[in-house]
Amino acid sequence: MSGALPAARTVLLVEDSDAIRDAFTILLEDAGYTVLGAGTGEDALRLAAERVPHLMLLDMGLPDMTGLEVVRRVKGASATAGIAVVAVTGRDEEADRRACLAAGCAAYIVKPVNTQKLVRDLPGFMAAAPA
Amino acid sequence: MDDLRLYLQGDQATAERLREVLAREGFRIVEAPREPSVSGIVVEIDGHGAAPSVREAAGRVQELERAVLELRNLDVAKSQFLTNVSHELRTPLTAIVTYGEILRDGLLGEISQRQREAIESMIGSCRQLLAMIEEILTYARTNASAIDIRPAEFRLSEVVENVREMNGSLLERKGLSFTAEFDGGIPQAWADRDKVAHVLGNLIGNAIKFTPEGGWVRVEARPAPGQPGWLQVEVSDSGIGIDPEHHELIFREFAQVDASRARVHHGTGLGLSIARRFVELHGGRIWVESTLGEGSRFFFTLPSVHAGTPDAPSANGSGADA
Repeated sequence: MSGALPAARTVLLVEDSDAIRDAFTILLEDAGYTVLGAGTGEDALRLAAERVPHLMLLDMGLPDMTGLEVVRRVKGASATAGIAVVAVTGRDEEADRRACLAAGCAAYIVKPVNTQKLVRDLPGFMAAAPA
Repeated sequence: MDDLRLYLQGDQATAERLREVLAREGFRIVEAPREPSVSGIVVEIDGHGAAPSVREAAGRVQELERAVLELRNLDVAKSQFLTNVSHELRTPLTAIVTYGEILRDGLLGEISQRQREAIESMIGSCRQLLAMIEEILTYARTNASAIDIRPAEFRLSEVVENVREMNGSLLERKGLSFTAEFDGGIPQAWADRDKVAHVLGNLIGNAIKFTPEGGWVRVEARPAPGQPGWLQVEVSDSGIGIDPEHHELIFREFAQVDASRARVHHGTGLGLSIARRFVELHGGRIWVESTLGEGSRFFFTLPSVHAGTPDAPSANGSGADA
């Protein structure tokens, strides 16, 4: 990144565990982001459309729909296609990784996430997403 | 017992063959096979025209088919259960690790060096627990059903590099040197990348675990001697070694060489048995050469794209290197 810090960037945190969502909220707010939270795919899609965050941190195991479906719908709508989506998953599988990246995810990271590395990498994920 | 319902696994072509066989025995298919599903295809047949003994046999087949279907459903249920358990166990542990890192990094206020060390230790233990849960669940899954091998071409060096990255902080902490040497021009592997990553992760993880500070770990790959089209991978270390009388034992489930070692080096004792299972599923072999106190050399073989295994890109091709 170059120059002064940009205005607060918004991250939509999609995670069905309240404990994990709370922890990541602390982490991301500390790093200077505005954080929106969603616990279901439906909420995630609604918030993505209403608030158009810069980045979506998406847990792939949601109660109501698969993470992949959320990615496809976010990337499929022109209003939200520019959101950088980072897939967060409990299982590290090559086929899964390929499917996520093919669907348009900026990155595929495996839980438990290394929080320091995540905070370091976030600006790069956003920069790589189409404006 | 005149109308029979047969459940079987297969596709439309199988159904067609079945129709022919049934017709020969005097049966007539009343209802055409439906869409193939997880439980196979279902046909209803009319047994009026068949001899009583054949009808009786068909009845027994029907019972067996029903039993198979039930077992298959159970197997699906068991896999689903394992997936759920895995998710349920991982979620709270992930929360603990994440909160731990937040505390460690002072996001919720300054902490002392001693507090920091305590939190580091807590995070390390949690990660260890997560890895063990993963291993137990992988083991359970390998036994739940026939595991499918999904082969693809890939470079072993990339998988080794991923494993090295994952173990980066541990290598650094123990001051171990890590080298990877691959014969120039060895062909790409033709194997299930996730399973090979699991095997390499286990062997390299063990090498790091059982090598005292300041030692070395090395990974090499070469064409398998006397086995054209196959690769031989070697993971060696300068660690504590393994008594030859235990070389078979360590690949068995729940085996750790002795209780004292198990106490010092935590683990489920499943890692190597899973590794062996995965290697053997590829038609390969895994073994160890080691003497107590003189390090260990683990070997396994793996098909390359030139191995001529079914579906391989050059199944008909020569054994020449890429």
